Amino acid sequence: MGTLYVSQADSFIGKVDERIHVKFEKKTIIDVAFIKLDGVVVLGRSTVSPAVVSELMNRHIPLSFIDERGHYLGRLQPEMSGNIFVRKAQWQAAGNTPQSVHIVQGFVRGKLKNYRQLLVRRQRESDHLDLAADITRLENIISAIDKTESIDSLRGLEGAGSAVYFGCFNRLIINPNFEFTKRVRRPPTDPVNSLLSFGYSLLRHDVQSAVNIVGFDPFLGYLHFDRYNRPSLVLDLMEEFRPLVVDALVLTLLNKQFLKPDDFISEPLSNAVSLTAEGRKIFLTNYEKKKQSEFKHPVMGKKCTYRESFELQARLLAKYLMGTTDKYPPLFIR
Amino acid sequence: MSQNKQTHSLPTVTCHLSPVTYYQPVTSSDDYVNIASLNQYSYCPHRCWLIHCAGEFIDNQYTIEGTSLHERVHTMSEGNRDEIYQIRAIYLKSDQYQLIGKSDLIEFENGEFYPIEYKRGRKGEWDNDELQVCAQALCLEEMTGKNINSGYIYYAQTHQRQLVEITEELRANTIATIEAVQTLLFTGAMPKPIKTKRCNGCSLFSRCLPQAVDKVGRYQEAN
Repeated sequence: MGTLYVSQADSFIGKVDERIHVKFEKKTIIDVAFIKLDGVVVLGRSTVSPAVVSELMNRHIPLSFIDERGHYLGRLQPEMSGNIFVRKAQWQAAGNTPQSVHIVQGFVRGKLKNYRQLLVRRQRESDHLDLAADITRLENIISAIDKTESIDSLRGLEGAGSAVYFGCFNRLIINPNFEFTKRVRRPPTDPVNSLLSFGYSLLRHDVQSAVNIVGFDPFLGYLHFDRYNRPSLVLDLMEEFRPLVVDALVLTLLNKQFLKPDDFISEPLSNAVSLTAEGRKIFLTNYEKKKQSEFKHPVMGKKCTYRESFELQARLLAKYLMGTTDKYPPLFIR
Repeated sequence: MSQNKQTHSLPTVTCHLSPVTYYQPVTSSDDYVNIASLNQYSYCPHRCWLIHCAGEFIDNQYTIEGTSLHERVHTMSEGNRDEIYQIRAIYLKSDQYQLIGKSDLIEFENGEFYPIEYKRGRKGEWDNDELQVCAQALCLEEMTGKNINSGYIYYAQTHQRQLVEITEELRANTIATIEAVQTLLFTGAMPKPIKTKRCNGCSLFSRCLPQAVDKVGRYQEAN
């Protein structure tokens, strides 16, 4: 199972028997059996044939669109799951309920602990990196989470933890060609931020698939509760995965010189930076590889891939909300 | 296309129903319970809930069980084999128990009807196949006005017929299960997922994660 990313502009995505064919200038550049797909992501402009659309919907495979700059546009979604019980439990816990507080504590704790773990690991791997002060600051914020009962204050802790982490992110990049000062979004104006944004866009597609499959309403979140008309629950569940999947991948691609400065282009005036077609291919290939990499799930005690863990965490969240289990354990990997 | 022939070589039968206690269905609606769901319920109530209440999509043979009552999957046929009159793939229905289902095969021999339930495999560990035969018998009794004392399960893998006696005990069990399934469908209340040996063969295992209750309960997040 995997996701098909179509990054070749002006390609044609068609169906031939039981396979999906991507053609460019009348030549098939890739073909994959539908049975092996669990998602299709179109980057930039491509044509999708009606036969492919109906096949994807019949097989409950979502089709997402991301623009040339890596902005998430939207998706074509198979019919919603009939599991109203999950949605009912999700809505009942909304707002300032004990369940909501517990879940938000989990999301924030999972994210910050994975942040801290990433710093600890980098510190171990390098002799001249001193992150002790930052790690201690993160520790202090983490230890306050379970004593904090207000969701607003938990958001504050999350913001403080992120500030510490991104404050030392530049020191994690050992490739002299790349520099990070702070998170810049909409648009990202430097290569590192453009990679983070692009990675989070892809992650969003994957986590949204998981949230939909389990039967949630993606628009009702707990940590991201204050804003409507955005997939808040997806953003919530993404938190613990940001460092595990995207940040780790971005650092690897930069530090191991997979990506070079000439893999990026910058627009005039807006200074928005994005990957070249070649750079995007490198990123996508490695993102997919990362998702397929295995680890031992700390709760379930068995091996799983990151891709599987998105759905697993969504199911564990549903179980907690429906009262089947007594807590929501965020994915934290030591 | 199959012809719905109403003429066949059935002798006229006199009606003598067994004195079952009158059953009052839980629901007053027209929601009839599908015989197949009895089997699921006795296999695992949570699975039954997942399929029939939560509408969890599964793409294996079970999707067929849930198909609408107005669609015919098999072809209706009738004929004689030696001295035995056989009817295949007809609808079964009981208004008294609000049951609906599909029979694989019904035989008529020496003035007696026998429901025969086909099973793919061999005799399973869980004796819930008998429940289905009994539920079919309840429908047949209502449809024919005759007592039904036995039926069969035909195991395709071993090509063997197994006799199922429709005892009072089996009847009581079946009626209790019908009641439980109707309550489940009417209230939508979720039975807890409980981990048993059967979970390994269940197509919904990865959706249900029955082991999660224990695992999450015991889980200590590392610092």
